[in-house]
Amino acid sequence: MALAPALSGTATEARRRARARRGVVGSRAFPYLLILPMLALEGALVIYPIIRGALFSLETDTGLGLDNYRTMLADPDFWRMIGHTLVFTLSVDVAILAIGLSLALLMNWSFRGRGLVRSLLTIPWAIPEVPVAITFVLMLDPSFGVFNAFLRLFPGVTENPQWLLDPVLAMVVVIAVTVWKGFPFYSLVLLSALQSVPDELYEAGRIDGAGRFALFRHITLPGIRDTLALLAVLAFIYSTQQFTLIWLITGGGPVDATTTLAPAIYMQAFRFYNFPYAGAIAVVGFVISAVATLVFVAAQRRVETSE
Amino acid sequence: MSAVSTRPGASRIEPILRTIAIVVVTAIVMFPVYWMVVSALRPSDESLSFPPPLLPHALEFSSFGQLFAEKPIAHWLMPSTFVASLTVIGPLILVIPAAYALSRLYWVGRSAFGLMLLFTQMMPGAVVVAPVLMLYRSLGWTDNLWALALLHTAFVVPLCAWVLKTSFDSVPKEIIEAALIDGCDRWKVLWLVLLPLTKPGLVAVSVIAFFASWNEFLFASTLITKNDLYTASLGLATLMTQLDTPLFVLMAAGVTFSILPVFFYMAIQRHLLRGLTAGAVKG
Repeated sequence: MALAPALSGTATEARRRARARRGVVGSRAFPYLLILPMLALEGALVIYPIIRGALFSLETDTGLGLDNYRTMLADPDFWRMIGHTLVFTLSVDVAILAIGLSLALLMNWSFRGRGLVRSLLTIPWAIPEVPVAITFVLMLDPSFGVFNAFLRLFPGVTENPQWLLDPVLAMVVVIAVTVWKGFPFYSLVLLSALQSVPDELYEAGRIDGAGRFALFRHITLPGIRDTLALLAVLAFIYSTQQFTLIWLITGGGPVDATTTLAPAIYMQAFRFYNFPYAGAIAVVGFVISAVATLVFVAAQRRVETSE
Repeated sequence: MSAVSTRPGASRIEPILRTIAIVVVTAIVMFPVYWMVVSALRPSDESLSFPPPLLPHALEFSSFGQLFAEKPIAHWLMPSTFVASLTVIGPLILVIPAAYALSRLYWVGRSAFGLMLLFTQMMPGAVVVAPVLMLYRSLGWTDNLWALALLHTAFVVPLCAWVLKTSFDSVPKEIIEAALIDGCDRWKVLWLVLLPLTKPGLVAVSVIAFFASWNEFLFASTLITKNDLYTASLGLATLMTQLDTPLFVLMAAGVTFSILPVFFYMAIQRHLLRGLTAGAVKG
């Protein structure tokens, strides 16, 4: 420790010498040169299109204006879409965290084969979305889908439900598939958060005579609270982005029952070729995602400061 | 990661109950994966009967042969591999210097740049898909695998930058100070000190980038219209809508397409986790 000031002194000295030797590498501009290629690419293919899309949304028959937004806000379909997006996003969020946490709690225990179970449970997360969609469409097929066979085991069920033709069931299906595909990530992150809660706290709690529920409530939960909050925001962001699973399983239907934000933009742009209107919805998507990102940053700060 | 002791009040039957619960949950979660593989390996008429037998009566590996002989899946894997490989090279070139600047250098605007990266990472692809199509059309870049790879690169680069930054952060400061004393400049510190010490991070970045591109559907489906340029995810989605595709062939295609990512994700699980939460979780 005593060496540290002397060390950094010589380091600064050496750095100055190195800087004198080489122009660019030692210059103030060096960090900016390092990020420039990446900044250029993000600027051209992410930021520029966002701005371009926003400009589209201002285009009307009579020049620039807010007509598309007026149409959008007066459109009952738009509000239905927002409703579907909220139902989808919040359900996925709650279910994915509940299942993720239950599994993490179940796994937070040393047992033989833990590594194997961990790896197996990672698989849904690793399978690409297109094959996942294909598999679930097969399993839900009204005439030969295997889910119907399971459902028939319950008393009173005598007919195969039309999973993807019923508005409520279709929503349940896309939520369930999204949760199935996504939960391993949340489970694994929560598992490592659980493992970072110090054992001594549990010991102390036990000595004080705390029961199982009290330990969970007063030690486990506070210990992982910040991680849980961070994951809640992340799950929200990822589920508002969801396009492929919904598109391939229901196509946003029946009618528009599973049309959330991403499929709605796609539909306006490529089914109805209404780029200005698609642009207006995209701006809504941008705002939601930007606000969520700021919340994410705040949640992340809390995790970092609490460590 | 060390073993964690059992929870309080563990009785003798608790481990048994837990084991049963874990087995049941794992079985439920794995069932769709099992079904996917089994449906690929058994004759179609068995899958099309109701109720479909849970255990196949016969396994036929011929579906994979038929898949490669009759359907252009082998052909689709080529563009996928090409685009995904470019999507590894591109991010590595862009991300190594940028992650270095984010992790080890101090400059005005660093946190703003970090925030911009996070914004782009969180941005839904659907928000930009229409303007990107317009841009690509005006440049004549549709039906161009290089241009698709560039777009995939733009969308995966923010995440890759976080993963590599986290990896650079973990190199002790003393090592870098020592290298500076020995006369390395900042460029040499990156190449001779940081990179050799962060190989796992580089592997993680490569895997993330490769499979982000390999799995991507939205941009591929809007920018690629020619059959012979179809990536596998696009081809597979088309196969799904063609009613004449035998079921086991479709499932075999899905399995073939999934093998690589499943294998690699398992291998680098931990690095992925750290990167995806942008370094907020200790793995």
